[in-house]
Amino acid sequence: MNVVLLSKQLKDGEAISEYTKNIAEKIVQEGHEATIISFDDSSYYSIDERVDVVRFSLHFDGDNIYNWSMMMNNEMKGQVMSLLEEKDFDLIHANDWTTVPGAVAISKHLEKPMVITIHSTENERGFEGEQAEMISELEWQGAYESDQVLVTKEDTKNSVLFDLDAPEDKLEVIDPFSDGWRERILNKYRELLKHKKEVKN
Amino acid sequence: MRPLFITWEYPPYKAGGIAAHCEDLSTTMDDQGHDPVVVTYGEEESTEYRDGVEIHRVPATDAATDTLSWAMHLGHQMEKKAIELAKQKDFDLVHAHDWMAVPGATGIKKTLDLPMVFTVHSTQKGRDGIDSKYQETIHNLEWYGTYEAEEVITVGRDFSEEVKHTYDVPNEKVNYIPNGVDLEKFDSHSGNLNKNKYALDYEQIVLFVGRMYPQKGPGHLIEAMPKILDKAPDAKFVMCGSGATEHYKGIAKQQVGDKVHFPGYVPDSELLSLMKNAKMTVAPSVYEPFGIVPLEAAACETPTVGSYTGGMKDTIIHEYTGLHTYPADPGSIAHQVKRALNDPGWSDWLGENARDRVEDNFRWEQISAWTTGIYSNAVK
Repeated sequence: MNVVLLSKQLKDGEAISEYTKNIAEKIVQEGHEATIISFDDSSYYSIDERVDVVRFSLHFDGDNIYNWSMMMNNEMKGQVMSLLEEKDFDLIHANDWTTVPGAVAISKHLEKPMVITIHSTENERGFEGEQAEMISELEWQGAYESDQVLVTKEDTKNSVLFDLDAPEDKLEVIDPFSDGWRERILNKYRELLKHKKEVKN
Repeated sequence: MRPLFITWEYPPYKAGGIAAHCEDLSTTMDDQGHDPVVVTYGEEESTEYRDGVEIHRVPATDAATDTLSWAMHLGHQMEKKAIELAKQKDFDLVHAHDWMAVPGATGIKKTLDLPMVFTVHSTQKGRDGIDSKYQETIHNLEWYGTYEAEEVITVGRDFSEEVKHTYDVPNEKVNYIPNGVDLEKFDSHSGNLNKNKYALDYEQIVLFVGRMYPQKGPGHLIEAMPKILDKAPDAKFVMCGSGATEHYKGIAKQQVGDKVHFPGYVPDSELLSLMKNAKMTVAPSVYEPFGIVPLEAAACETPTVGSYTGGMKDTIIHEYTGLHTYPADPGSIAHQVKRALNDPGWSDWLGENARDRVEDNFRWEQISAWTTGIYSNAVK
């Protein structure tokens, strides 16, 4: 299995970065391949050297996080596509709304399954600011387009169910502070890939 | 070749000249044996085939609070449509039109690994400056488009230089291709006009066509009106276009009363009749990368009095196809309009020359051929 994980940043100590790193390290420990694609904000990170990390710069400065993220995702897609010259990806794992446009485009183009972890929803964060509704729309799209939606806590599950209207059967809470959480995520990957293989056959 | 056109506006949706440009260019390319596909905005998802061109429309969000975020969202929708289309047909390149197409086109370039051509129709700096973070972001997007594109097309000769310097684009990837005119559309139009809607029988229509914004210079023409009427009392100013119409109407009415008429937005067909019946068009723009009005007027054998700026330096030849004025100079506008109005024979001669020149230099067949030539460079 070869998984590409998308994260807005990669920084030791930052919650989503640690989550992404932990999953990627588990993947390589199990003998599979993992690639993390992340915007390069010059933060320090440490990771198992078997994980392939691609950090990229962006020659675009936006007036808000939404516009910046949309263009950052374009660059992210370019990075994934250029890696295809040397490897194939079996699955795309997005993290939060900031990586949804890239993950959706790659998943559709490569016809590979998509997993998203929604770490919190815009509703949970207070739905504040001019871009709140558009950010929430991206979360909805991420949940809608994904084959598997993961959340890290019950509150987020409820918000994804009721605010984003996601079907319960593709939604699962996996708490990154619980025992065996990384194994459970890998098992989700395995189920999706097995299902895809069955559908193909 | 099969280019994928990315444009937010395509008829019937249009705010400026990009829609008509994309329609004329794609239709002519199809006539010349190419296979352009257009992805653009629509209120709902749809596919249509018009004049041989395949047009796909995708809706955009209602949640955007400004045009920039709306364009970002639309770009993502367009990209998803392009990915879907790419499963059935191969595209040779993606062709973006202006900054609103940059998010979608660069996404498509990256995901589908296609070369990109970017036509810059105007710049943020020239339109209304870079004074806020919002305006700066649009400027950045324009820069990003020129950076990502293999080839950049600009619609004016002077404007090419502006684009090169504003975005620091290498000389060799900036191309100048003017806009064109679909002469058949003008020739097949009857030109019938109920003149009484606009002017009295004996009055000579002096026509302004454009959005009522400072960039287009309606205020300078309004300032020139009393001086023109002093020497040419039969002139009647007809100011067509949407925008800050009430603002300019108030000022103009104060200056010259009933000698000016503001019909607001005028449909294409009626506009064409007006152009055919006008004594001249006046294009007092202070910033005009290309400016289609002088060419459309020329197609109607109507000369244009236009500012010596941007594209009009090329589209008007002074004292041969029209008259140049100093930009933002009401005295200069008044002088040149009076010259043309007071010498009808000479004015008709200017109009005839203007028409001949359009036939020789601004046909879509030529422009399409130049554009596909640039495509060939982009895909190398």
